[in-house]
Amino acid sequence: MNSVSDYFSTNWQAMTLHDWLGLGITIVVFLVMLALYTYVLHPANRDRLEAQRHIPLDDDQFHMEEKP
Amino acid sequence: MTASQVEQKYNFDIVRWFTVVSVIYLVVGTLVGVYIAAELAWPVFNLDTPYLTFGRLRPLHTNAVIFAFGGCILMATGFYSVQRTCGVRLWSDKLAWFTFWGWNLIIVLAVITLPLGFTQGKEYAELEWPIDILIAVVWLSFAANFIVTIARRQSSHIYVSNWFFLGMIVMITYLHVVNSLAIPVTLFKSYSIFASVQDAMIQWWWGHNAVGFYLTAGFLGIMYYFVPKQANRPIFSYRLSVLHFWSLMFGYVWLGSHHLQYTALPDWAGSLGAAISLAMIIPSWGGAVNGMMTLSGAWDKLRTDYVLRFLIMSLAFYAMSTFEGPVMSLKVVNALSHYTDWTIGHVHSGALGWVGMVGAGAIYHLLTRLWSTEIYSVKLVNTHFWLATIGIAIYVVAMWISGLMQGLMWRDYDEFGTLSYTFAESVAAMHPYYVLRTVGGLLYTLGGVLMLYNVIMTIRQASAAPRLSAAPAHA
Repeated sequence: MNSVSDYFSTNWQAMTLHDWLGLGITIVVFLVMLALYTYVLHPANRDRLEAQRHIPLDDDQFHMEEKP
Repeated sequence: MTASQVEQKYNFDIVRWFTVVSVIYLVVGTLVGVYIAAELAWPVFNLDTPYLTFGRLRPLHTNAVIFAFGGCILMATGFYSVQRTCGVRLWSDKLAWFTFWGWNLIIVLAVITLPLGFTQGKEYAELEWPIDILIAVVWLSFAANFIVTIARRQSSHIYVSNWFFLGMIVMITYLHVVNSLAIPVTLFKSYSIFASVQDAMIQWWWGHNAVGFYLTAGFLGIMYYFVPKQANRPIFSYRLSVLHFWSLMFGYVWLGSHHLQYTALPDWAGSLGAAISLAMIIPSWGGAVNGMMTLSGAWDKLRTDYVLRFLIMSLAFYAMSTFEGPVMSLKVVNALSHYTDWTIGHVHSGALGWVGMVGAGAIYHLLTRLWSTEIYSVKLVNTHFWLATIGIAIYVVAMWISGLMQGLMWRDYDEFGTLSYTFAESVAAMHPYYVLRTVGGLLYTLGGVLMLYNVIMTIRQASAAPRLSAAPAHA
């Protein structure tokens, strides 16, 4: 392997069903992770997420909000 | 809400039992570890009996510390924190007791079968097929109780510690079932359905994820509940905890192949495992920082709060281990470190430093709250902390030195291309470090014995006092 292109070359004809399944799952997982990072780091979601920090501290008082 | 109301609302009895047995298993498991460490330093300890050889006692040690101590403290803290954060009692008390007795039966069976030599020969999955089936059944009973309790919660949100416990539960079910697939030939002998390099890959897919999901995700569940609770401060960043969780869930499953560098496994698979291992430093350190920064503005608590000391020290070891592991997975480092004692040092810095310390912190936290009393002796807790810390330092440094020496001696050759040292010479050179390891392990075990004594005396103290006053709950 002498060049970067050699390193990343793929024999697409040799791909088995398992290879395609693995590739598909990898791409889906990557996209889901991308969506997750976008959701978590979006400023609009900050207060909603950070509001949950207090749950372990509130359990003594049992000021638990009712499940909707 | 008074202590008696809290006691009636939740099932704390199951948590108490799991907590107490976890301390007993910690002492027993580490004691066996010290004994086999002594066997390596002084082989005379084999006593010429097959039942006490390193090969038979080593899996007993790993099963005792991982599944007996680790499993019981995970179930104690899981059952405790899920009730507290969801505001509801466990779904089924009977199922919880089934889990308790079932899990302990498995441990007893391991204690009997492993010294007798019944083993599948798969690391961290040595137990034979009938016990494997029992493990699956009992584990699923734990899973069902945990999941239905969450489903019946009063809160609208599922707190992040429960997510980590859930991640562990789901993934360990999947990993255990697939890795244990075997064809039984007798009641105590079976053969894996996988063969050759596929068997090795499945084994290390399980092996590394036993570390990743059982000893990391599960214990992070402990960290995310008990650090804020003990510090009486909310976790530093909830958003970081969410990213930590999902990155861990998506990332860890890829890492097993880095255990098989320079083997029959395709080269690209090992490289992929190493690459993802390096990437995993980011969420792991994010989680460690998240836990430590929870003390931001209140670092002085470390001076007086003995439980926090255990918890924060465990995070330091978590950060160290999750940096060292990826470095060791790199091929250039792995060529030197693999098959040497460096790996043993790495594993024990994680197991004793991260798992053991966060577990001890959780046990001390639970002790005063579950028995509504003060700890019997704070001095003993502090002694435990320093015995454990110094013991780990001695153990890990000894293994680092011996590992590097082994790696360098094995690869050294002279001008004629002949190996400079025989294997036996490298074994002889390890002797002082094996003695040091035994000393380090002994110190750690002595710390565990002090904790057991403190736990017993605290419970006795609580039993002597009037049960459940009308004072406000500290639980």
